[in-house]
Amino acid sequence: MWYSDAIMSPEMLAYPFLFIAIFFESFVLVTLLSKPARAARARSAGAATPSVAVIVPCYNEETTVANTCESLLALSYPADKLEVILVNDGSTDSTAAVIARFADHPQVRIISKENGGKHTALNAGIATTNAEFIGCLDADSFVEPDALHEIIPCFADVQIAAVTAAMSVHNPKNFLQHMQNAEYIFGITFRHAIASINGLYVTPGPFSFYRRSTINELGGFRYGHQTEDMEMALRIQQAGYGIENAPRARVYTKAPGTLAKLIKQRTRWTTGFLRNVLGDYRGLIANTRHGVLGMLILPSALIAVGSGMLLFFFMLYELTRSIVTAISIRAGVPLSYVFMPHGPIDWFYVPINFYVLLGVTTLLASLSLIAIGKRISKTPGAIALGLVSYTFLYGFVVPLWLIRATADITFGRRRDWKSS
Amino acid sequence: MSIAARNALIALLITVALVGTVAYAINYLNQARITELSAVEDQLSIDILSLDTQFSLLEAAPCDSNASSTTLISELANMGDRLSYAENQLGSDNAQVIRLKEQYSLLEIRDYLITKELAAACGDAKPATVLYFYSNAGDCSDCDKAGYALSYLHNTYPTLRVYSFDYNLDLGALKTFIVLNKVQRSLPAFIINGKPYYGFTSLADLEKQFPKGALSTSTPKL
Repeated sequence: MWYSDAIMSPEMLAYPFLFIAIFFESFVLVTLLSKPARAARARSAGAATPSVAVIVPCYNEETTVANTCESLLALSYPADKLEVILVNDGSTDSTAAVIARFADHPQVRIISKENGGKHTALNAGIATTNAEFIGCLDADSFVEPDALHEIIPCFADVQIAAVTAAMSVHNPKNFLQHMQNAEYIFGITFRHAIASINGLYVTPGPFSFYRRSTINELGGFRYGHQTEDMEMALRIQQAGYGIENAPRARVYTKAPGTLAKLIKQRTRWTTGFLRNVLGDYRGLIANTRHGVLGMLILPSALIAVGSGMLLFFFMLYELTRSIVTAISIRAGVPLSYVFMPHGPIDWFYVPINFYVLLGVTTLLASLSLIAIGKRISKTPGAIALGLVSYTFLYGFVVPLWLIRATADITFGRRRDWKSS
Repeated sequence: MSIAARNALIALLITVALVGTVAYAINYLNQARITELSAVEDQLSIDILSLDTQFSLLEAAPCDSNASSTTLISELANMGDRLSYAENQLGSDNAQVIRLKEQYSLLEIRDYLITKELAAACGDAKPATVLYFYSNAGDCSDCDKAGYALSYLHNTYPTLRVYSFDYNLDLGALKTFIVLNKVQRSLPAFIINGKPYYGFTSLADLEKQFPKGALSTSTPKL
């Protein structure tokens, strides 16, 4: 039977964003195959052992900080060159008692201070050490024993001010954590590729390292709109230094187990990104002096925030339209007929169109980059569940924090997170 | 040229190639749909011509033949569903879709006439028949509802014969058919067993226009 589809499809709006997504994924893939990335992968763990201090800022981390500290002490690095600084940032739980167990350890230094936020905890740690390289490790993260040997050779070039590690999720249990694990491993590929052309704009809390002299030159950590790691990375880039990545320096971090906690965490990250990039560091955007970071990475990241929301609204619109159409044209036809499939199953009716196939292409490229990230970093564990959850869940949850963060920025709302 | 710029250029070329491949694949799929439609239509043409010829050959005793267009009406409905889907995918202004719609309309008219002649010649009970006229030009707000209701009725009552026509199709035979059946331009329009009915409010109201017992779920005798 004939019934017309007179409404013009809004799919056209989504095409440019899908094109950009495919372009960006292609760019990451091509960069992975380029000489600098290949050279980075060929870089072997070094024998050099300069002095290193790893700072662990703690705020109410009683359940994880002991394991975090033990994983640091298990690093295969000369004990006299490795210092672990545990900074209790005014915890109100039993963190102080837990870290006190390490008080007699010759490699561990404990600092207790009033709560002032993560950046103040890091600065307090930095102030107590003369180590050549300063590392940070969130108190809910754990490192592989060889991670530091992977990190140090990346500082061979004196222009490199910071080095990031390869993060994945520690012991993912539910569907949401598996999804985050896949996302983190995608991040491994992304960081590895983009670092090879100096395009990184964040040095994440789990096991990023900094050259001490650069910190002395640029100053310590700042509040940075609750994303002190991003602010520091942007400051390093602004000063003309480089940020490297060690793709086999594996670090595992605890991921939020509920949607509410995940949205809260990611809203903080996204608002921090927008406030930093559109605020103090807007001069980096479209600035040829900052190369690929200014001309491609930051503009793409900003477009990704917009396109994530637009595609979500488009999806909602299509879904609503389908339901409204089904209900409006029903006119007395039983619901059992409306919502039950009828007619033969036939290839002729397979709902594949330009938009769907472009979306599938984008997804397949993402899944390939995740598989590549797992292989490059040699991250252990199965990824199948991560790929499934990433495929079916990621596109639906990301817009939730993008919308929330954009609304916060628009209305000038600042949320009250935990102090550290 | 920097490595990043060179990579961006290569990535752009890859993207264009991928998007081009996707566009080609979709076009290929749509062409395959058109080919499938043409094949169904060709078979339908042969079947109707065969029925027509059989009817002429046995003019003296048409009812002795096993001629029947019962299976053809389900083929016609199948064709109509496919054509409707293809029109949504390719657009109602697609030249191939319009050509197929014209051929489909001719086949519908031919089947309608043969069925009518067979019923008259053999004294069979007239099957419940609906001639449905719609428009895709945006001037018929209830056509979607009416088409959907008729789809439901046809699926529920297999004996019901539904012939759908695009009122705006530029086809001589259809225009004559419209004039002969005195169909006014007040769409959606229905000719139910010869009686005109205009507009659509609900399925229940439409069902009331059918003669008592016309809507039956029993399978007709072949």
